[in-house]
Amino acid sequence: MFRKDEMYRIDYVLVFAVILIVLFGILMIYSSGFDPIEKVNKGMYKKQLLWFIFGFVFMIAVTFINYKNLGDYSIYIYIGMNIVLLFTALFGAPVRNIRAWLNLGIISIQPSEFMKLALLFILAKYLEFRERDIRNFRELLIPTVLTLIPVLIILKQPDFGTAMIFIPILFTMLFVGGADVSHLLSIITIAGVALIVPMILTYREWAGEEGSNFILDFFKDTNLLFLVSGILLLIAVIAFVLHFFLIKKYYRKIYIPATVISLGLFFSVLIQHFLKDYQKKRILVFLNPNLDPHGSGYNIIQSKIAVGSGGFLGKGFLNGSQAQLGFLPEKTSDFIFSVVAEEWGFLGSIIMILLLSIIVFRGIQIALESRDKFGALLASGISAIFFFHIFINIGMTLGIMPVTGLPLCFVSYGGSNLIMSMIAIGILINIRMRKFVH
Amino acid sequence: MAQSNLKLRMLEAFRFRMFSFLAIVFILFLVLIVQLINMQLVQGEEYMLKSKLNMESNIPIPAPRGEIYDRNFQPGGENTVIVSNRPSFNLSTIPARFESKSELRKTIKKLSVLLQISYDETMQFINEHNPWERVVIKEDVAFSLIVKIASHKNLFPNIDWEDEPVRVYNMGNNFFHTVGYVGSISKDEYEKYRGRGYKYYQKIGKAGIESEYDVVLRGTDGFIRRIVDVRNRVEGEEIGLNPIAGNNLVLTIDSDVQAAASDAMEGLKGAVIVLKPFNGEILAMVSKPDIDPNLVISRANNKLIRELYNDKDKPFLNRAIQARYPPASTFKLVIAISALEEEKWNPNLTYYCTGKYTLKGYVDKDFYCYKHHGLLDMYGAIAESCSTYFYQLGYKIGPTIILKYAEYMALGEKTNIDIPGEITGFIPSKKYKMKTFNQPWYDGDTINLSIGQGFISVTALGLADFVSGIVNDGVVYRPHLVREIRSPDNAQVIKRIVPEKIREIPLSQVTLNTLKTGMRLSVKQGTSRRLSYLKIPVAGKTGTAQTRSVRKDDKTQHAWFVSYAPYNSNPENAVVIVVLVEYGIAGAVGAVPVAEQIYLKLISLGYF
Repeated sequence: MFRKDEMYRIDYVLVFAVILIVLFGILMIYSSGFDPIEKVNKGMYKKQLLWFIFGFVFMIAVTFINYKNLGDYSIYIYIGMNIVLLFTALFGAPVRNIRAWLNLGIISIQPSEFMKLALLFILAKYLEFRERDIRNFRELLIPTVLTLIPVLIILKQPDFGTAMIFIPILFTMLFVGGADVSHLLSIITIAGVALIVPMILTYREWAGEEGSNFILDFFKDTNLLFLVSGILLLIAVIAFVLHFFLIKKYYRKIYIPATVISLGLFFSVLIQHFLKDYQKKRILVFLNPNLDPHGSGYNIIQSKIAVGSGGFLGKGFLNGSQAQLGFLPEKTSDFIFSVVAEEWGFLGSIIMILLLSIIVFRGIQIALESRDKFGALLASGISAIFFFHIFINIGMTLGIMPVTGLPLCFVSYGGSNLIMSMIAIGILINIRMRKFVH
Repeated sequence: MAQSNLKLRMLEAFRFRMFSFLAIVFILFLVLIVQLINMQLVQGEEYMLKSKLNMESNIPIPAPRGEIYDRNFQPGGENTVIVSNRPSFNLSTIPARFESKSELRKTIKKLSVLLQISYDETMQFINEHNPWERVVIKEDVAFSLIVKIASHKNLFPNIDWEDEPVRVYNMGNNFFHTVGYVGSISKDEYEKYRGRGYKYYQKIGKAGIESEYDVVLRGTDGFIRRIVDVRNRVEGEEIGLNPIAGNNLVLTIDSDVQAAASDAMEGLKGAVIVLKPFNGEILAMVSKPDIDPNLVISRANNKLIRELYNDKDKPFLNRAIQARYPPASTFKLVIAISALEEEKWNPNLTYYCTGKYTLKGYVDKDFYCYKHHGLLDMYGAIAESCSTYFYQLGYKIGPTIILKYAEYMALGEKTNIDIPGEITGFIPSKKYKMKTFNQPWYDGDTINLSIGQGFISVTALGLADFVSGIVNDGVVYRPHLVREIRSPDNAQVIKRIVPEKIREIPLSQVTLNTLKTGMRLSVKQGTSRRLSYLKIPVAGKTGTAQTRSVRKDDKTQHAWFVSYAPYNSNPENAVVIVVLVEYGIAGAVGAVPVAEQIYLKLISLGYF
């Protein structure tokens, strides 16, 4: 239970920021649920208000239990959530061909949202436990496996966007938890090389660009790629062996990049072979929406028009033509920020971004001030969840991030995400409240 | 101690990493804000325009194209309307407005059944266009079908209709090569003219006056501005801009003369030009074979149009200005001019015609006349079209002077008539022969040139211009087809085309008199005496051009007849008629009867 002095340590800045932003969001859901021709409102804003009240209760409830005690149960929470997630992926009611919702009679919940918190707990717990050894490369294996299990289940649903958000969260946790930066960079480089090469090739093929180019020809020839990858690997092995016998630093400088590039090229060949054409194209449409003005490119084009046409002061509440006349897709959930930008302009958008950044920065501050590593990791993980949702979602509406279907925390219409976010706020308050307790 | 040292170091490392994370977050937030500034503040207006484009569905209201009348136009009177318009409806769409490709396909499928058009061709046509621009699915759709579509709008989302007047060519074939026709703007034309207000869905003049005066005729399209939602449900509607009708044209052509010329040429191939040398007004201009433009303007007749394009008789070719023929005996007039103007000759000097002329040389070579004429002076030689006379005269003058006079008479230049596509005649030179055949100019070439054969070729209009110069005492006016540009309601004249003097050839009175007298003599008693009975005095010159084509019958020669009337009176009333009949046997047989019919018509219309 609270002690009296703890009451004073409730982070009121955080709570007020959250209340303001959720109310702002509900106003926008009201606006985007309005049909100017039929003159009726779909009433989604009322539901969102209800969930906010639920979420608020959850937030307060979470502050009552010491987060450290919660941490002791993290393994059970993690396993339990995975089972629920698996059950959903297999037997959940499909909505738009995605089995992401679990129908509980009166309400449907989205277990993948809560999985984000469960993963955070177990990663924080593990990283706190292995704090001293985490610089070893093999120590990265278990956090990766812990992350990949829910990712694979969510991919099975299949919900690509939600699955992908786990990756930056894992990286943030590993980074804050003390993993070797060169290890993390190596993994990112491998993934980068593996993805970028097939994307460029697909783009040129799709856009019908002719002409031969020495570098492109090289990347097209998969046998040659295999060969180069093999040679690099051989160099790496030799350098490694030499390093083993005559320990000199510069051998390390050879075998690590050689291995990284070799693996990158190797995976790029695999991706060229195993990723279907339409999957590659989907990523390309994000890069250039005009390639597909009817499909997902349409969403980006319309969203950019909505945002851009907002100008400085916006078109006014209920007056955004893009939102009101239905040109903007998914305007209550994924593209809610576009409605804000269209109707409230640059001013409203900046206010919303500032409010959201207050939450993220406050989370990082709480992590810095936490009295233990577990709390610090948990708080930074929560900040990461918020931040990556915000950045990817707003980035998407501005056309600088792919269309992934990630909601904007606190603002987008949707109960599960809102309640998850409120619980996460509760945990942040919890950590801050107990920072001086010994 | 070591323990706590390690702890401190780890705390330091942790803090460093937290601050790095903070920095990354901060930078990425800045990226969002910079992009927001870029989109909303820098490019805001551009996006605003796009958002307006989204919700404003602008339905064009095509402007009615100007009407075209013949020269007898009287404001408020019962006039001959050569080209008019009739109301019709187009069905159109903007493909990008459909939620998905499959919905577009579904809608077009339903539409193609209703309209009885090919689904595949329509889809192909749509796919060839920018999906954000309006595409006309079918032109000239029956009103009953429009009513059907309008009453089932939910079945045909995003399908709009606009009324677009259709061009009606009331005179059928008669004006095909002069007035021309309109057609949908092509990709190339659109690229070329888009800066001048042309829209991809519009019609543009493709040939003749429709093309040359397109800017005058077209008017300005208006549009209805509709505020629509994403499913094209209409929220509001207003007229954005009323169309401004195009201006009307009054031609110099007399539709009765044009019809007479066309009738006279029925079944023949060739060209007729009737013009007034005093101001360059063209009374009739016919090229055969021709086409009914009403067939060509409809997109539904694509197949027929393609067939016509590949027709070996080339009906699209305007033989009056786009084809070259050897001038044949009509060129004898140029020989006469050169001889008289260089003062080496006077019209009373004679040559004796034995029916042939022998060119002395290493090997003697004979050139024949069609008849044994005996002793002839220049008048007689022109009237009888005696070749022997001109062989000797031409040989005496030499090619340099003859060709200089041909150029002087502008036979190798454009007349700059006010319709597009005109080509020039061709005047050879010694240099040309050396370059093309790698041979010097032989005396035989000069002999050939003297009767308008060999390398030289002219256009029918070029020859008409030349005759005009003779009739009009050396002054040549630019031949033209349009007399007035009138406002859409015909109430005011926007522009009256003033005759434009393009050339003044200082021919001596002796030369002019000789030519006129010779030509008059030709009608009185010479090769064109068939016209001697007409009650106005006609003067003319026939020509029979040898062609290189091999034909079984005797029709291996083109027939020319250049003429004017009345002889020796005020040039103000004069009319020049040039007739060319391809494979017309001979000038006297093939071309003179055509001119005869036209003169009869002109007389009955009171032109003289």
